[in-house]
Amino acid sequence: MDTVAVKSAHDHDHAHGAAHDHDHGHHKQSFITKYIFSTDHKMIARQFLFTALFFLLIGGAFALFLRWQLGFPGQAIPFISDLLPQSWVDRGWIADGAIQPSLFAQFISMHGTIMIFYVIIPLAVGFFGNFCIPLMIGTDDMAFPKLNMISFWMVPPAGVLLMSSFWLESGASVAGWTSYPPLSVVAGMGQTFWVVSIFMIGFSSILGAINYITTVLNKRAPGMRLFQMPLTVWALFITAVLITLGTPVLASALALVFMDQVFHASIFIPQNLIISNNPFTGGGQPILFQHLFWFYSHPAVYIMILPSMGVVSDVMATFSRKPVYGYKAMIFAIMAIAFLGFVVWGHHMFQSGMSPVLGTTFMLSTIVIAVPSAIKTFNWLGILWKGSIHFTTPMLNALAFVATFVVGGLSGIFMAVAPIDVYIHDTYFIVAHIHYVLFGGSLFGIFAGIYYWYPKMTGRMYNEALGRKHFWWTFVTYNLTFFPMHLLGIGGHLRRTYDPYIYDFLKHFLMMNRFITVFAILLGFSQLLLLVNILWSWKFGKKAPRNPWHANSLEWAAPSPPPHGNFDMQLHVYRGPYEYSLPEMEEDYLPQWIERTDSVRSAEEHAQHSELASDYSDGEPLPHNA
Amino acid sequence: MLDYLPEVVSTVGIAHDHLFVLVYYITAIIFVLVNVLMVYFLIKYRRREGRKAYHFHGSMPVEFTWTLLPTLLFAGLGFYSDDLWADMKYQNRVPKPDIEIDVLGQTFLWHFRYPGADGVLGKKDFKFRTATNLFGMDPSDPYGKDDFITTTHFNLPVNKTVVVHLSSVDVLHSFFLPHFRVKQDAVPGMWINVPFDGLKTGVYELVCAELCGSGHYSMRGVLHMQSQTDFDKWMNEQTKSKTPAPPVAEGAAASTESGTGDPAATMGAGTANSDTSVAQ
Repeated sequence: MDTVAVKSAHDHDHAHGAAHDHDHGHHKQSFITKYIFSTDHKMIARQFLFTALFFLLIGGAFALFLRWQLGFPGQAIPFISDLLPQSWVDRGWIADGAIQPSLFAQFISMHGTIMIFYVIIPLAVGFFGNFCIPLMIGTDDMAFPKLNMISFWMVPPAGVLLMSSFWLESGASVAGWTSYPPLSVVAGMGQTFWVVSIFMIGFSSILGAINYITTVLNKRAPGMRLFQMPLTVWALFITAVLITLGTPVLASALALVFMDQVFHASIFIPQNLIISNNPFTGGGQPILFQHLFWFYSHPAVYIMILPSMGVVSDVMATFSRKPVYGYKAMIFAIMAIAFLGFVVWGHHMFQSGMSPVLGTTFMLSTIVIAVPSAIKTFNWLGILWKGSIHFTTPMLNALAFVATFVVGGLSGIFMAVAPIDVYIHDTYFIVAHIHYVLFGGSLFGIFAGIYYWYPKMTGRMYNEALGRKHFWWTFVTYNLTFFPMHLLGIGGHLRRTYDPYIYDFLKHFLMMNRFITVFAILLGFSQLLLLVNILWSWKFGKKAPRNPWHANSLEWAAPSPPPHGNFDMQLHVYRGPYEYSLPEMEEDYLPQWIERTDSVRSAEEHAQHSELASDYSDGEPLPHNA
Repeated sequence: MLDYLPEVVSTVGIAHDHLFVLVYYITAIIFVLVNVLMVYFLIKYRRREGRKAYHFHGSMPVEFTWTLLPTLLFAGLGFYSDDLWADMKYQNRVPKPDIEIDVLGQTFLWHFRYPGADGVLGKKDFKFRTATNLFGMDPSDPYGKDDFITTTHFNLPVNKTVVVHLSSVDVLHSFFLPHFRVKQDAVPGMWINVPFDGLKTGVYELVCAELCGSGHYSMRGVLHMQSQTDFDKWMNEQTKSKTPAPPVAEGAAASTESGTGDPAATMGAGTANSDTSVAQ
């Protein structure tokens, strides 16, 4: 099928072939400036992608160690146990090939830390933010390319620091990814490494976020109004606002913990503790840390899921061949989530000992935040309604996002209702919930985005058959892994527990834990299909056209892959990003950059009038106003 | 799914389970509706040759409806649940206890302090805390003299209002009685009141629910819920046979010197004042 996109791009090639390379001349780049200290947003996006995928393997491996212990307690880990470092055996972390409690606690902490700070945030914010924002708003690069480079280069040293703590005598962090004092203050050197590492990666986030905000506000292609940006850009933009407001608070909390650890400032250490039979005193308040931590870390939940929500909206519109249902409602819902996200942190602290009156307040605010999530879900269903649904790999992942997000959102209601949280707090119900939101939600959205923009990023098509295989294996094993965790939680099964079977009331869960472990292992290995697809297709995939999905947003106007400087044509934006299936047009899509010729104008007017006739429309003003 | 809830043995637990079932059915209905609708759309509107998608941007009345309905539903649920929350946690709703005990979490153990024969817990303050006086008992308070301490195992009478005063010696712990649907973090530096009752005799497990280090999983306690007579018998045995906790011994010595340490006098005073002391 001939495409509007390619035709128009060719027209523009002739007209504006040389117009774009003002300060992005095609000067020669050395290997180092091109691949390592690159200031090109697309290269930085790839760096984030591969760094995060590397950490995904590590964090996933840690999860499987934990699962092994819960499913097969005390048994030697097959194949792997001989490969683990001898120093771990010497310190008693591993005995007879089985994980000991001290190593288990380190894996618990590091699994959560890595998955949140080194996988999901770098993928959702670092990768999508860098790759999508300049391309989707039709500009050559970020507003501050050097800042962007620094933002990435804070990640590897932070990651090395974090991982190196496994070689400390006292081991890595054992205080969980939440790192509550007093434990995090007294737990040893690994905890200090943890604090410094997270502090650095927080700054990486802040630098990136400043860049995103500036870029979105200042560098949009001519003609593009804010309410003509794709929802991916909107979501990333609001995520960046969340990061700039929230992350400094986390940084301050970490700095205070650092002061307590290193200088015994006793900000979070109360009077007269007895630690290992020794007095340890201060004048502080441990709950204060939780307030500071969750003031960032609850919005962080939305930092991790909003980008995926944006991606999923774009992917679903493209593959339903339909405008996003309630485009502005979607944006206002994102804004509402972002705003409410800052007034609900206390729902993590219902059992913490803070005033129960605050519990009432936070219960009500938390339960209200379910509303914008519900609005988004209904609008996603609205996109499917009367669409023409193409079941490609990105679409399958996007649909899985919606389905699992519904589960994660609904299980969140249990926690939001404070009296129920009393029982399920710190049980596997929470573990199930967070994995439905972060794995099922964020990660399926990320998968959808990786497949969707793969042709643009690499200039090659991914392997569709392999992509589907990856999706189905992941979707099935994922649900069989995490859904039973709700049942464990309802049964009172503790999270972060090395051996639940010392409790009589949990003994009957051994078989269910074993079931979960088997599917977790399959889930882990299913991800190799994604890696193989990414690497293999990069070299051997079919060459990708400019606009393989016949999509409307600006990135599809650029060559695949886009060169340094991105666009080889002068862009002007004439309409919103979701003008699919106009009744009068032969093609079922009308990209944002296509000029308003007479025939386009009449098709748009006709579409608008027929829509106005049938119902209220949230579309563009009539074309003759433009 | 609901079958997995452990047997419930407390008044607040029964109320909790009712609410749990309510939320379970609300969420289950939403889950089924959304997913059935989604699967229906996926089948009905799958791509077919010759059919074009409907060019439609959305409808304000529809958006308004599906904003309002969840708001009413969820806000209603929130207001409905708040009363139970207040019963569970509001300090001004803590009922007048039939028995109160101090509970301390220590990496990876639970300690329990009982008021002894006088029915009154001796005064405590964190400033008195040492490695041998974990509860920070005031050595000069005669009511503390007969208090006794148990570790891991603790006993309570059935069908009585219990108030646990909860704190920690070192890091955060969490006092979780799954069968009672009771959970409260133990925070060093503060005492938190946790009220509950038990409706059935038996042996129940106490769990530490807050990550407290690598031995966190092993921080198990055992609650023996007994009939009042069995409990009284146990209290008597403990008071008689138990060597008093070291700080109490010190306190007794100190108060003997000051001439107010007569055991009989102490006990009598304790009994006489027990009501006012308990109400504090």
